[in-house]
Order: sequence, then C-alpha cells, then structure tokens
Amino acid sequence: METDALITNESEELDAIINKYPGEKRYIMAIMHDLSRHFNYLPRPALEATARHAGVPFSQVYSMATFYKAFSLVPRGKVHFKVCDGTTCHIKGSQIIIDEIYSRLNIKPGETTADLQFSLETVNCIGACALAPALLANGKVHPRLNAAGVRQVIAEYGGPEYGKKE
Amino acid sequence: MKILIDGIEIEAQFGETILEVARRTGIHIPTLCYHEAFGGQGSCRFCMVEVTKNGSSRIVASCTYPVNDGIEVKTSTPQIDKIRRNIAMLLYKRAPNSLFMQTLYKEHLCTENNLVEDPHEKCILCRLCVNACATMGASAISTVMRGTDKRVATPYDDASAVCIGCAACAEVCPTGCIEVQEDNNIRRIWNQDFTLVACEECGKNFATREQLAYIMDKSKQDAPATELRFCENCRRKVLARKLETFNG
Repeated sequence: METDALITNESEELDAIINKYPGEKRYIMAIMHDLSRHFNYLPRPALEATARHAGVPFSQVYSMATFYKAFSLVPRGKVHFKVCDGTTCHIKGSQIIIDEIYSRLNIKPGETTADLQFSLETVNCIGACALAPALLANGKVHPRLNAAGVRQVIAEYGGPEYGKKE
Repeated sequence: MKILIDGIEIEAQFGETILEVARRTGIHIPTLCYHEAFGGQGSCRFCMVEVTKNGSSRIVASCTYPVNDGIEVKTSTPQIDKIRRNIAMLLYKRAPNSLFMQTLYKEHLCTENNLVEDPHEKCILCRLCVNACATMGASAISTVMRGTDKRVATPYDDASAVCIGCAACAEVCPTGCIEVQEDNNIRRIWNQDFTLVACEECGKNFATREQLAYIMDKSKQDAPATELRFCENCRRKVLARKLETFNG
C-alpha cells in the first residue's frame, strides 16, 4: 500500500516519538497513542519500529494495535466523523446520518475518502442521548441531525460542493 | 501431600496442578487448550473438575489449579458433564468445519439449537499455536482483532519475515485448523513458501531450510552439525553407529 511508505521527514518524526520512551514492553501502549495522535493512524513502519524499540515480536505489537478500537491501522481523514449508534441515536435515526455520509462521500463506517479528507466510524454511545441522533466531527458534537444537517456539516468541513464531483 | 481424585488416594507434590497429577496417575480429564509443553492456560474450561475441601465444593479448571493438602477431586459429576457439554456445543458452533469438533459434539450428546454456524471455521482460538510459535522462538503469529472478529494470523496477513516454517503451530492444533501444504520439497504455510531439506540418510524431508538456519544461528554453528543433516530417526542410527566404532 502506498500510504504505508513513510517519507524521510516522517521517519525522523517517527524516531523522535519512539525514542521519547525507554525500550521496554510496558511503553508500547504509550508509544502507540503518541503515534496515533501524530499520524492520525498507525502506519505499518511505525508499528515495526515500535516492536524493534521495545524488543518484542512484531506479531505481538500488531495484536495489541488491532485489539484496541482507539487505534486505526488505515489512515483516518483530516476530519474524523464518529456517528453515535447507541440505542437512543439508533432509534432516532443514526442510520440516516450514515446513509447520507455514504451518499455524499462514498465511505462506510471504518473507511476514509481517497483524498484523506473524511473518515467515518460508528461508536456505541457518546453519552449525549438527549442530543440524539448525534455526530462527532473531530470531537465536536453536532446534535439532532437529519440528512440536511449532515450535508451542512460536510459543507462546513469541506465546502458545499464536496462529494458531488465523485 | 495426599489428595483424592475420583476416590483414589494419590501422593502429590507442591506446585503440581490437578491435571498433572491426574495425567500421571492415568485418570482421564478431557482438555482442549492444554499442552504439556506450555502448561495450563485455563482458557477453554473443558478440564473443569469439582474440588471439595472442608465440606465446601467449587468448580475449578484443573489445568491451572495447584493441588493443596486434603482436597478431594471429582472429574465427572452431572454438573461438570453439563458444563463440558455446553463448551463442546458452543465450540462446535464456532468451528463446525473441524472434524475433531464434530466428533466432540456428537460424543457429548449436545442438543440441537439455532445458534448460527460459520460452515468454514475450524479454529476454536485455544492459542496453542501462538504458544508453540513463541516457544519455538519465532513469534510469527498472534491473535488479532478482538471479540467476534478475533482470529490467529500473521501481521497484516502477509508472509512473515520471522516465520521459519517449522509447522509447530499445525502440529499442536487440536482442531486441524492450520493449513500446511507440501508439494515435493515445498511447504506452504501462513501464506509463505519454504524449501524442505531432505535427510542425507533416508531422503525424507524433515525440516525447512529456514528452520535449520535458525537452529544454526541459535547454537552459533557455522556448518550444519550431524543433528541437522539427518531426520530424527536417522540421527539416532548415525549416533549409534558412531558409538559402535567408539567402543571398538
């Protein structure tokens, strides 16, 4: 995958992040959190470097990275949508939000647009049931959305015409 | 210390598990995720037994329960049989494609139900293969994802740089889930091809090239020693012949 190859600049940044921590097994989670924050996902070379640094088999680091939902192994977009699909949001129409995002941006939960602008995931409950159905865009809550509201949110983050070209 | 298993009094050592004591006495306790090379994992719960001490009893996993003085163990009671039947049923429903699980399902007289089966699945996620790989020193495979998506795989499902193709994972797998294809002198396992090396005596393929290189690296040898040129059987013969001349 092309996105897996890091450019020189990035591999320096990668080393800087990893070398902040001692080369021990117990720092793997902390390293992966930092990497995830920096790259917006966990690139393969970063995981391999983490394994080398901590002195554990790559398979074990990969196992940890796939175990936690907080980590993504595919690039996330600049704007990361979290659609709440908890009971209340589900009943109040979270599927409408997911469908509208799909029809506008052509991404399903877990996917990212080709230009890395948007990505989408569903979460089980964000604790904002009174605002159902809710959408988090980079952590900002957009309450009581309908299809028109979703179009507005997408426009807010990428221009009103976004998605029509495709 | 003395313990009772199914009414038989047995002398047990501190640190042994109930399962170990039972096995060496010849008392059968069925297991799935246990292998004597790795010890108990306590994950399949198939080896559950009833332990009674001071009048109170509890159900424990015999593979991880260390013996203590004066315990009385029952390996088969209606309650335990029910637990085993349930486990057999659930694991069969998870891995119905495995012949082993099909047999187990029938043996335990499990009743039909409408749990959804994946007709292709053979793995019961006992982790024996992961343990075997780690013990061999390669750690090429691990469990990935979690919950219902959990499975055993190499990172990114790619050919692993550290896999030596020893097939220890397939060897310990109780359900015959790990595929090893052998075609002439090529072994295919975990999406990777390995060249097999033939025994210099009998010509039987006995190890992969990577496996021998790994052993040489670990034991810091430059050239393959006698042990690495022959299969297990011929190795004994060659060594015996050596001893003959040594004596003569």
